[in-house]
Amino acid sequence: MQDRPTAGELLDTIASLLSDDVLPLLEGGAQHKVRVAANLCRILTREAELGEALDGQERRLLFALAGPGVDSGGCSTQELSDGLADRLHAGEQGLAAEAYPAILEIVKGKLSIAKPGHDGFDFADEVAARATSGSAE
Amino acid sequence: MSGEAFGPGLSSYLTEMWETEVDVEVVTQATTGARRANVLFDAVTAERRHQLVATIVPNREMLIQPIGVEASGIAFGRTAGMPAAEVVSVNDNDDPLGGPFFITRRVDGETMPRQILRMVADDPQLGPTIARQSGEAMALLHAADASTIDSEITQPEPGVSPAARALALAEEKYDGSFQKSPAIALGLNWLREHLPGEAARRHVIHGDFRNGNIMVGPEGLRLALDWEGCHIGDPMEDPAWLCVRMWRFRNDHLEVGGFSDRGPLVDGYEAAGGTWDEERFWWWKVLGTLRWGLGLETQAREHLAGVHSSVVMAASGRRVAELEYDLLMLLQNELSSSAR
Repeated sequence: MQDRPTAGELLDTIASLLSDDVLPLLEGGAQHKVRVAANLCRILTREAELGEALDGQERRLLFALAGPGVDSGGCSTQELSDGLADRLHAGEQGLAAEAYPAILEIVKGKLSIAKPGHDGFDFADEVAARATSGSAE
Repeated sequence: MSGEAFGPGLSSYLTEMWETEVDVEVVTQATTGARRANVLFDAVTAERRHQLVATIVPNREMLIQPIGVEASGIAFGRTAGMPAAEVVSVNDNDDPLGGPFFITRRVDGETMPRQILRMVADDPQLGPTIARQSGEAMALLHAADASTIDSEITQPEPGVSPAARALALAEEKYDGSFQKSPAIALGLNWLREHLPGEAARRHVIHGDFRNGNIMVGPEGLRLALDWEGCHIGDPMEDPAWLCVRMWRFRNDHLEVGGFSDRGPLVDGYEAAGGTWDEERFWWWKVLGTLRWGLGLETQAREHLAGVHSSVVMAASGRRVAELEYDLLMLLQNELSSSAR
């Protein structure tokens, strides 16, 4: 085990350095790049904190959809995800509706690290407008 | 290369073209992207001062299609009656500026998306006005006779609809992606099952009409900018792209570029003679969202491959989830109905 600060704490420190101390010294393209870098440090801070639990959740959700004959120990999370994508891409009957809640859950998990709050908007009005135009029925 | 560095080349180019001595005073370089530079300048002759913009592609390999097609698109849009710049000259040689360029007459106005949204917040009439004018502009463009545009313009193979072409390109990108995204796979499958048919005739499409590529003033829309992606396509591509969430800049509840709800856009489109097709509009909105997700994934892949290495391209990889979410939300009522 490494001594503190943890990886997340260090990344948070670097993010503050970049946005509070370095950013004001720059302009134009360099300023934009450093702003992006500071944001990446914040993403990694959250990943250090939440990543492991979310990866475990993603694995459980994917394994539940994997169907019989898939060995949970022998498959990486990436392989489980690719396998689901391949079946969806092939248009397996009924799978899209069955898998939708799990896929949404996994994507929301990624957003809680990459962009918290992005899932605060749900397109309800646009989806409702489409339904009333009669085309979704 | 800074804007000033292009001054001598522009001066000699215009002096030769106009057959009179032309002094060039560079005002500023509006954009500093790696792909293209927009240099604002005044061309001064003994008689008068011309306010101009040079759009320069420093590296020819960055061209999506010949520079003449882009300039031809702008002129086509202007002739069709929509707000587009007046093209003064096109040069497809690497001399004298190091790459292809075209020159247009300069129009002043606001182009930064967040500044536009600030103007809209201060004037409740402005957002709906821009949306209506955008609808009118698109309808005029789509109604014009496509046979008069530069024949090198990007277009589907004979017998392939614009929608089928766009879907095939998305499938190609998906096949090359690092990780097979279940959300994108689900979206591709929906797009395939709901593929709209061929349009009745050929239409010229702007291809990137969005908040970020428009110029506005206090009275409304002044120009449709950046015609790099103009092509022969489906009329509903343009309004759908303007309505993708990415271009709302956090004003998510205002579907049209974050500045208006959809009503004025549809009204403007129909008032100028266009036919609004809700089903196609929806299909292209899903396509545009999915395609941008694949585009971000491609940027991350190119960063890792060392093709275009930058922290911004690297960060794109972590933005894919935003588009996956938007895509899943657009399809939230679609999957249960297809399962019935």
